Amino acid sequence: MTNGIQLDHVTFAYRPDQPVLKDISMAIDPGTFLAVVGPNGAGKSTLISLLAGLLRPQTGTIAIDGNDIDSYTRGDLARKVALVPQEHLPVFGFSVTETILMARTPHFDAWGFERPADRQIVAEALEMTDTARFASRPLASLSGGERQRVFIARALAQDTPIILLDEPTSFLDLHHQVRVYDLLRSVQQDKHRTVVAITHDINLAAQYCDRALLLRPEAEIPGTGGPGRPPEPSARYTLGSTEQVFRPEEIERVFGIRVFSARIGTENMFLPLGRMAKDTAMWGGQTRPAKET
Amino acid sequence: MQSLLSPRTLLTRTLAAIAMLLLVMVACSLVGTEPVSIKAALAGPGPSGSPSPDYEILLRVRVPRILLAAIVGAALAGAGVVFQAVLRNPLADPYILGVSSGAGLGAMLAVIGGINWTLWGRSPIAVFAFVGALGTVWLVWAIGRITGRFHVTGLLLAGVVVNACFSAIIMFLTSIAKSQDVYATVFWLMGNMAEEDAFVLWASGGCVAAGLVALFFLSPSLNAISFGQTDARSMGIHVERVQFVALAVSAFVTAVAVSLSGLIGFVGLIVPHAVRLVVGPDHRQLLPLSSIFGAVFLVVADTIARRIVAPAQLPVGVITAMLGGPFFLILLMRYNKKVCWLS
Repeated sequence: MTNGIQLDHVTFAYRPDQPVLKDISMAIDPGTFLAVVGPNGAGKSTLISLLAGLLRPQTGTIAIDGNDIDSYTRGDLARKVALVPQEHLPVFGFSVTETILMARTPHFDAWGFERPADRQIVAEALEMTDTARFASRPLASLSGGERQRVFIARALAQDTPIILLDEPTSFLDLHHQVRVYDLLRSVQQDKHRTVVAITHDINLAAQYCDRALLLRPEAEIPGTGGPGRPPEPSARYTLGSTEQVFRPEEIERVFGIRVFSARIGTENMFLPLGRMAKDTAMWGGQTRPAKET
Repeated sequence: MQSLLSPRTLLTRTLAAIAMLLLVMVACSLVGTEPVSIKAALAGPGPSGSPSPDYEILLRVRVPRILLAAIVGAALAGAGVVFQAVLRNPLADPYILGVSSGAGLGAMLAVIGGINWTLWGRSPIAVFAFVGALGTVWLVWAIGRITGRFHVTGLLLAGVVVNACFSAIIMFLTSIAKSQDVYATVFWLMGNMAEEDAFVLWASGGCVAAGLVALFFLSPSLNAISFGQTDARSMGIHVERVQFVALAVSAFVTAVAVSLSGLIGFVGLIVPHAVRLVVGPDHRQLLPLSSIFGAVFLVVADTIARRIVAPAQLPVGVITAMLGGPFFLILLMRYNKKVCWLS
């Protein structure tokens, strides 16, 4: 039996003949922090939904901790995989603690109340995410960054080996982006959780994640590279360490943009450059991507 | 850590609310056109031939009607809580999925069809309204399922469309029917309390109580569903199952209430909101307390309705809206800042 997540020839399509994900095979080892990147429409959220058991692949299998995902009941899967959704608010004004406690719902007693162990787990999640200060406040009164930490705390309270996140830092300022990634890194390292996060921020992913999965939109593969850059037919996705995956030419091709890139430490950092960017001098200077010079 | 709802707190609050309900019921049983003395009534029915008037008025007229109002109020407010949670829509009320127009159409058909048999002492209007209400919710559910992925939006739209369509049919039937038939239906639809016999009270009270207890056991799942179907599923909730059972039970409870008293607006919408403003959104507490205060509210409203223009009587729906609206606005202004209502 192998732990972690295994995908074996997974294909998923919302409409027949238009697969969003096609023939993906990969393994995510336990304790990995994996970044899922790619253009809009590449299937990142679909992949997360598949891993959370919210969608079923048309072909192929997904195994969680060695067992086929279909063999889990909904309750059992919720003990393996927790999901941090994109930022949203519930219809009614639940407090922070009430929100986090909901992760324990399948463990409640016959009367629908939490047990002492559940309270302990919630207290730890509040502590770890630094949300205890505003534990009794309603979610709506928090800032986006605080709210994101509450949802991460809820995932922690679910006490699963695997945590999935859908764009955890999209709406956050720099300070809160870094706080969320610090938190995720400490969750991964101190609690030995497998963390899979969709992100658009390649630079943050390069700094914090161990591995990266770069997805390409299925529809755009032919001709994506433009003239002189024939696409690799099998390269619907790239999986590897962040420095393997985040290469300048790869990023330029997949996202269809020019980037200014520089190596900081062992990782490549990217600055996207549009046609109308002010400092177009960088295009011709020494700092242009290596293969263009 | 914030002090969370404990079973002991919930039990204490529920018992306190029930005590308050009993107090209100006793107080309201003393209000009426004839003064009555509880002492005289408790002395018994009196010898046959010269029955005690106190006993007759109190136990054969007022108490059954007060019990009826309590049953209907509890059913509507409890169902309102569940509809708002499952549909994740603060504007939802127990009638939103077609109960009102279905009951109306059923009642109309019973009157126009000239049906005059009775079922367990119930008038054909009540029986047809009950069947119409449940049948319509089933129809809306079936249509909603076809729309697929955005199930909740699909359900709401199906409810609106079916309600509109059936209302049009009711209007059509109204315009071709004989006028005194129509008057009976319209008056019934306005929502009225009438004295019911003991069997009907026991049976419907039992149905409503059983339904509300069943819904209570779904309330932790309803909390999770407030965050959306995706969240709830990822937290291990069987969302579809909970939604189906919750809607089926609350539609049943609503249909029982409608068949007893016609359409009484406002209770199922406003009482859940008012209680939520005060005690918060946790359904484990919201559901029992809303049901009890729904009963209190309707008992008071009906007492006013039968007293205010005595010896004539107002439809109780008039009172629920006139009394409930301002009361709710006061609550809204007082608590909204504190609890961030709706968000």
